Amino acid sequence: MIPQSHFLILSAIIFCIGLFGALTRRNAIGILMSIELMINAANINLVTFNKFLGSPDGLGQVFALFEIALAAAACVVGLTLVISIYRNAKTIFIDKINLMKW
Amino acid sequence: MLNSLIQQLNNSGLPLNSFAQLSFYFIAGLTCLFAFLVVASRNVFHSAVFLALTLLSVSGIYLLLDAQFLAVVQIIIYVGAIMILFVFCIMLTSRISDKAIRQVNQQVLFSLTLALIFLAIFYILIIKSPWLSSGAEIEPLSLKELGRSLFSKYVLPFEVISLVLLAVMVGAIAIGKARKE
Repeated sequence: MIPQSHFLILSAIIFCIGLFGALTRRNAIGILMSIELMINAANINLVTFNKFLGSPDGLGQVFALFEIALAAAACVVGLTLVISIYRNAKTIFIDKINLMKW
Repeated sequence: MLNSLIQQLNNSGLPLNSFAQLSFYFIAGLTCLFAFLVVASRNVFHSAVFLALTLLSVSGIYLLLDAQFLAVVQIIIYVGAIMILFVFCIMLTSRISDKAIRQVNQQVLFSLTLALIFLAIFYILIIKSPWLSSGAEIEPLSLKELGRSLFSKYVLPFEVISLVLLAVMVGAIAIGKARKE
């Protein structure tokens, strides 16, 4: 039996790696990838609690399912924005995109 | 799926616990390694490939957590759909083989410190917390029960998700459409 805390520590590690990537990447697509990593870490947490606390209707798994769908939606909108920005500004490095900065 | 495999291995003499633990630590190590490579690799296309491998390893973790349906959904949606989208976006936008361009900004040291502080806080919290456990062995949720709860108790959020997907579809077309000047 693998203890619950090991799954939680694994998800904490993945979350922190994603946080580091989201803060340091210059490439907008790289930032979106790091955000996907963080979302996956949250999903691992949900499924872990569902397994170890037990829910008769599987709330954790259902919630993780919804989160996968929402992550896909967020990803589609984000990548469309990246394409649109690239079309206008000819770059996807976010420190070059200062259109909305004063 | 994996459970029957574990059972077979158990019958063949290997102790069940050690096999499950071994596979968990192996998959967890792979996941951390690939996640690190996503963040660390210079080429964005390599990051995308490592992200796909990370997501596959996470679906292995789901299998170990008795969530077979989620593991399959993870592979179909993430590895099948989202990764295709990422790869297309990379090919449509950036010059992938340019070595001279910096891939990270000036905040690397600060971000590394922040991430490590967060990790330390999470670690201490996880280790110190008395996690509730019901003691008795919990039956894994069957696919039938999951589908029933998805279409009876949680049917409203399920329908709202489809509305969100419709809105996203319309929004993506509206934003991504090339404007004629």
